[in-house]
Amino acid sequence: MTFRLTCPVCGKRDVYEFTFGGQERGPRPGQEGLSAEDHFRWTQYRLIPYAPGEEWWYHAQGCGLWFKTTRDPATNREVEE
Amino acid sequence: MSYLRLRRLWKPSPLKRRYEVVIIGGGIHGLATAYYLARHHGIRDVAVLESQYIGFGGSGRNTAIVRANQRTVENVRLYEEGLKLWRVLTDELDYNLMFFNCGVLGLGHSEASVSAFRMLCNTHNFLGVKSELLDPQQCAEMIPGLDISDRLAFPVQAGLYHPPGGVVRHDAVVWGLAKGASAHGVHIHQGCEVQGIDTEGGRVTGVRTTLGPIGCKRLGIMAGGYGGAVAAMLGMELPIHPLTIQAMVTHPLKPFLHHVFSSGAYHVYANQTLKGEIATGAHMDPQVNYTNDATAYYLKHQAEALTELIPALRGVRFMRIWAGLADMTPDMAPIMEGNLGYDGLFLDAGWGYFGFKSGPVAGKYMAEYMATDERPAMLRAFQLKRFLENRYSGETAAAMKYGHWD
Amino acid sequence: MTAHRPGAVAAAADGSRPASPHRLPCGSTCRVDLSRPLSFDFLGRPMTGFAGDTVASALYANGVRIFSRSLKYHRPRGLYSIEGESATTYMAIDGVPNECAETTELRAGMSVRAQNVRGDPKTDRFGFIGAFERLMPAGFYYRLGHRPYSLWPLFQNGLRRMAGTGVLDPRREYRPGVRAERYLNVDVAVVGGGTAGMEAALAAAERGLRVCVFERRPWMGGHHAWRVREFEGKPLWQRASELEARVRATENVRVLTRSPVTGVWGENLVTGFTVGGDDDPFRECHWECRARTVVVAAGCMDRPLVFNHNDRPGVMQPGAAWRLARTYGVSPGKVAVVSVGDDLGLEAAVDLTRLGVEVRAVVDSRRRGHDPALLEELYDLRIPFRSRWSASRAKGGKHVTGCDVWGMSGIGPNSYTCDLVVANAGAQPRIGVLATVKAKLGYCRHTHSYQPVELPDDVFVAGSMTGLRDPGSITESGRLAGLRAAAFCRRQGTALDARRIGRAEPAGEAGPSSPGDNCPPALSAAIEKATSTLASRPGPVAGTGIFRGQGIGRGAKAFVDLDEDGTYKNVVESAAQGFDAPELAKRFGGFGLGPGQYRVTGQNLAMIMAAMGLDSGKATVPAPTTVRPPLVPPSLATLAGPPHDVHKRTPLHDEQTARGAIFRRMGPWERARYFSEDPSCRDEILGVRRNVGLLDSSPLGKFRIFGPDALNALQRVYISDMRKARPGRCMYSAMCNDMGQLMDDGVVVKESENGYYFTTSSARAGTTVEWFRYHTRYDGWDYHLVNITDVLGSLNLAGPNARRVLERVTRDDVSNDAFPYMGVRRITVGDGVEVRCLRLGFVGELSFELHVPSSYCQYVWGLLVDAGADFGMQPIGLEAQNCLRAEKGHIIIGAESEQRVILTDIGMGWMWDRRDTASKKVGAPALRACAEQPGRMKLVGFRVDEGSGSHRGDLEAAPGAQPGGGPGDGAVIVADGEVVGYVCTTRRSETLGWRYGMALVREEHAARGAGLNIYENLGSGRKSTCSATVVAPHFYDPRGERLRA
Repeated sequence: MTFRLTCPVCGKRDVYEFTFGGQERGPRPGQEGLSAEDHFRWTQYRLIPYAPGEEWWYHAQGCGLWFKTTRDPATNREVEE
Repeated sequence: MSYLRLRRLWKPSPLKRRYEVVIIGGGIHGLATAYYLARHHGIRDVAVLESQYIGFGGSGRNTAIVRANQRTVENVRLYEEGLKLWRVLTDELDYNLMFFNCGVLGLGHSEASVSAFRMLCNTHNFLGVKSELLDPQQCAEMIPGLDISDRLAFPVQAGLYHPPGGVVRHDAVVWGLAKGASAHGVHIHQGCEVQGIDTEGGRVTGVRTTLGPIGCKRLGIMAGGYGGAVAAMLGMELPIHPLTIQAMVTHPLKPFLHHVFSSGAYHVYANQTLKGEIATGAHMDPQVNYTNDATAYYLKHQAEALTELIPALRGVRFMRIWAGLADMTPDMAPIMEGNLGYDGLFLDAGWGYFGFKSGPVAGKYMAEYMATDERPAMLRAFQLKRFLENRYSGETAAAMKYGHWD
Repeated sequence: MTAHRPGAVAAAADGSRPASPHRLPCGSTCRVDLSRPLSFDFLGRPMTGFAGDTVASALYANGVRIFSRSLKYHRPRGLYSIEGESATTYMAIDGVPNECAETTELRAGMSVRAQNVRGDPKTDRFGFIGAFERLMPAGFYYRLGHRPYSLWPLFQNGLRRMAGTGVLDPRREYRPGVRAERYLNVDVAVVGGGTAGMEAALAAAERGLRVCVFERRPWMGGHHAWRVREFEGKPLWQRASELEARVRATENVRVLTRSPVTGVWGENLVTGFTVGGDDDPFRECHWECRARTVVVAAGCMDRPLVFNHNDRPGVMQPGAAWRLARTYGVSPGKVAVVSVGDDLGLEAAVDLTRLGVEVRAVVDSRRRGHDPALLEELYDLRIPFRSRWSASRAKGGKHVTGCDVWGMSGIGPNSYTCDLVVANAGAQPRIGVLATVKAKLGYCRHTHSYQPVELPDDVFVAGSMTGLRDPGSITESGRLAGLRAAAFCRRQGTALDARRIGRAEPAGEAGPSSPGDNCPPALSAAIEKATSTLASRPGPVAGTGIFRGQGIGRGAKAFVDLDEDGTYKNVVESAAQGFDAPELAKRFGGFGLGPGQYRVTGQNLAMIMAAMGLDSGKATVPAPTTVRPPLVPPSLATLAGPPHDVHKRTPLHDEQTARGAIFRRMGPWERARYFSEDPSCRDEILGVRRNVGLLDSSPLGKFRIFGPDALNALQRVYISDMRKARPGRCMYSAMCNDMGQLMDDGVVVKESENGYYFTTSSARAGTTVEWFRYHTRYDGWDYHLVNITDVLGSLNLAGPNARRVLERVTRDDVSNDAFPYMGVRRITVGDGVEVRCLRLGFVGELSFELHVPSSYCQYVWGLLVDAGADFGMQPIGLEAQNCLRAEKGHIIIGAESEQRVILTDIGMGWMWDRRDTASKKVGAPALRACAEQPGRMKLVGFRVDEGSGSHRGDLEAAPGAQPGGGPGDGAVIVADGEVVGYVCTTRRSETLGWRYGMALVREEHAARGAGLNIYENLGSGRKSTCSATVVAPHFYDPRGERLRA
């Protein structure tokens, strides 16, 4: 669906201006003692239920900001917080 | 004349409270697994649960292209067997799946894609799967009206023709498998949405559905694009992203396009259906979602791409656009697993946009896996653990950027 | 445009003789200008129509009754609808297939042909097929033709030949002329320019909102535009016309006529297209309009009556017959039988009589609810009328000759002789837009139509689609929708919007707005008033649940879907095979999958299936089914719009063109690939190896990063220890992704305390900023990253004579001592152009890469070309560079790397700073996990064993073939019947005198000295095999002496 995202700098813009950066999964884990399995899980495994979740988006055709927003995969729309 | 006697293709059956095997998903994968469980392995106490109606998901939303010209050995072997099944199933099910063996032509628009095509071609032929490298002139002879001039932003430089490929009537496969499964005693329950999975002591014990709880010994998650969401009911994370992929058809025309063709550079694939429509599919939006919403963007994108490749298509109109889900893994190869985390839990997911062409063959091997508890040799390459070992299948060449959506 | 002003002509209204025997004097509602004849031809027969005609109305006026043959049974089909609801009048117009004659405006010189038939649709050699209908139950093809399987291709090809309608000539140029596209932003998008839509537009516009009205017809007014009935003392057409004038005169309303809406997508993105009129600068214009609110006032259309032979030419929906007469002044027939289910149908019967059509009988399937005034008029006109009756059978072969009508209670039939059957089951709203905005639709038992049960907050519905028929109610519902849209915008609006809207508040309505609710009292009051006015007027009229005539079947076909030849019997057959829900039946029987889509047949199909459910004891209501866009089919030419190809040229494009460059598109760039027709690039390569060459490498990614945390950022994304970067030195490093796969490589130069300059591959130039920021997004680091790729061009001067050429254009010391390998200097060339000069060796020779401000690139190129002239310096292209770097064993990302290999697999592990965990380098954990992992694929160099090959077929003519024979890129490495790897790049080297290459192979085949079997089979008998030996991939100058020279 041709939805819009709210860029904190530029406001509501068409989704095709943005690059998708995946689910929020917290900061990059420390690497000291990080197991291979934990790393590869963190890199690839996701839980994607029918519920709004936080995501990262980049305003590629705009201000160049990475920002977090909440979107519902069940409706493919940004959710107002 | 029995031909004129119309019978229900699949029997309405009472919902039992317990089955030996429950399969979540009334698409091609689920129905094929049920069919083979009953037919090959004598396991007839099987229920297929479908939240909408059979074939609602990807099974009825794809562009019905079948082929075996994959990139790696393991995948070529799997899809090759899949290709051979259309004919076998047509006969077994006594239902015409309408395999139109028209061949599939890929178009390459860069030096890099020519090298890639050569690699594919050599791999296929070495494995005994027919493939042929064509020059642009030969491509134009196969696809009437294809513009092979330098006017294109990315002129055609080569073609990879795969004669064994073609198109199958997707709905017929769903209905035919339902017919076959039902004839062997499988229960098909439509409008039965799974809302939870019950486990006990490390075993799967059943599912909770909108029609009440149903017990089972073995559970197959074969829910296509919704597989990740079903696994999420168990809190199970998977390397799967559900993305929306779109397709559309034009008004029907007398046949002029006699092969499937595709172009990676232009993000299109197209074929002319038996009804005469040009059915064409597009690229995907990158964000995860479970909707079946089409976008204006792709309607336009597709028109731009198609009219650049075949300018005569400016004379046609789009009649309908729709969307389905593709459950993408990082390496574009599936995950077929047994006793995954829980005894009796089987997963057949991550097919991306290859779920249709693989349906029957995946069902055949998943049925064997579920019936014997032993991983068939064919499925060794499709284990989940490859992602944790960083051993990608190589089905796509490109390195991923941030994740498997890009 | 004049032709579309109602009554502009009125040529016939004053009693003058009609222009043809089929033309009627229809007076003020006429849109056809009889003073402007247009000649066209149908099947080569010259015909005349008039300005304002559609192709269909003109054909009909010329006596054409059979327009096409149907898809499956090849039945003759005539004019059934008038606005493209069904595909019976899809024709080839000027050679363009599947054009809708009902909506295509006639132009002089048009050439029209029928489809799915050879020549004249009156005669058709496939007409017999219908006789075999009994053998073709719904889904018959799934049960036929596959046994024995060997016959299937025959059957399949037969099916294929019969399928489709229009003929496309793949070699023709279709739809030439200017295409445009527009992207609009409005407060209120009104879909449908009827009375309700216009009222909504005015109400919103009066409150300062920006409004855009989309109307598919060339004029506005909806069904009021052709009705002569009076309301409040004025004919409806005149009221509509006056309203249109007001709307068009309103400043902030943009009116788009001839502009069907194709869909409303997420967050009110309204799309559609405008068919250009004579005054427009385009043939067609695609538009996308982002609207804050949408008012849907799309009106109604006829719901077909399903009865025996309801597809016969001469059977027509009331809307079609009426509009043919009223709008186009064409007589639909001489003698008519009318069978309807709504008051508009009765009004049509009355009006047609007044216009001279002899109406033999009017039957209405409704029991009650008829407008008494209309019944009175029928009585006055002495037309027999029966309620609870409907048409049951159209008689005649190629055209209607009579009609049976039958009472619902089983009385009948009554037979009439006639040449026109006007029939509908009732009216149905055009629900397409509501469906695409995801309104929840439910079946309304009062109006017997789908009505919104839940609407999105920003969508409003008005007009006859809600079941209203009273013109006053329609007016008021439109006004109310407009006001509500205004209130919504007001509530959602920004302060700026509020001021804008507030300023334009009509006098007397402005008042202090209450805090928390942006809706000013005046607006609230207006809404209240409109609501109560609407409530006081007649509400939605009762509809009828009837969908079919009596005695359906009985050896005759009754069509539910004319486009796909789907009969009532087929619906029953589908249900019998288990497809007992509309969604399933639709897929199985193809109902609503033709050009008319589900919009036309959807409601009837659902009603039929619900009735079947009732028959079997299940209480069901008709279930709305999926309506898919586009709601009106746009052409691919219109959607594609004007050419969009945008690409970049380097600053040296013209210079290279002058030197005979052959260009290729690489990503966004147009780049010189060859400088001769020789694909081996022999001269270019030898020029660099023996002398000097000049390469335009401008697309190379070029960046500056600076700030206190610049080093932190570099440490994060680069795999090496970036603290080692230092001024005057190029540090070569790479970026990986989280899986340890190679993403990019380039050099990093420290230029100041916290400032660095670095390069990336051309392909990554566009995403590098994004990549840095992504991987540092949690860190809050203070650095600035600037992409200066387009600011600087890049010229690579390479070859043993490179220094001698460079010395001629600069006074700076570029000797090996002052400027060693991997050094970087700022040097001044020519008349004081300062450039960065990097001494790199991608191609394996002494080379200087000059990063030059783009605007000076041509100047510097000229200097170098002049300076190199004495040496015979030649420009080189990308392919030569590709061979040169491969000889050196330098990889290109994507050519020698892929998903299955990580940095350490391709011989680049030396870059990786293994000890560093603190920087959290991207890719380091993956490398740590897998660097020593056994069984991975590895990149190896190989040397083809001389004389080992065997070749068959014309391999050298194949795309991508290498000159000189031998295996090419993409050859596979095989062992023991398995594919164990593949050749990434291979060339025959003039310099080395042997064929070398790089391959990715399984580890067990990667040891130095191991033998490789190389296999190629490109089909058509083109095969080659050869053996090769694994060697170090640094084929040329393995010790790097030439780089350091």
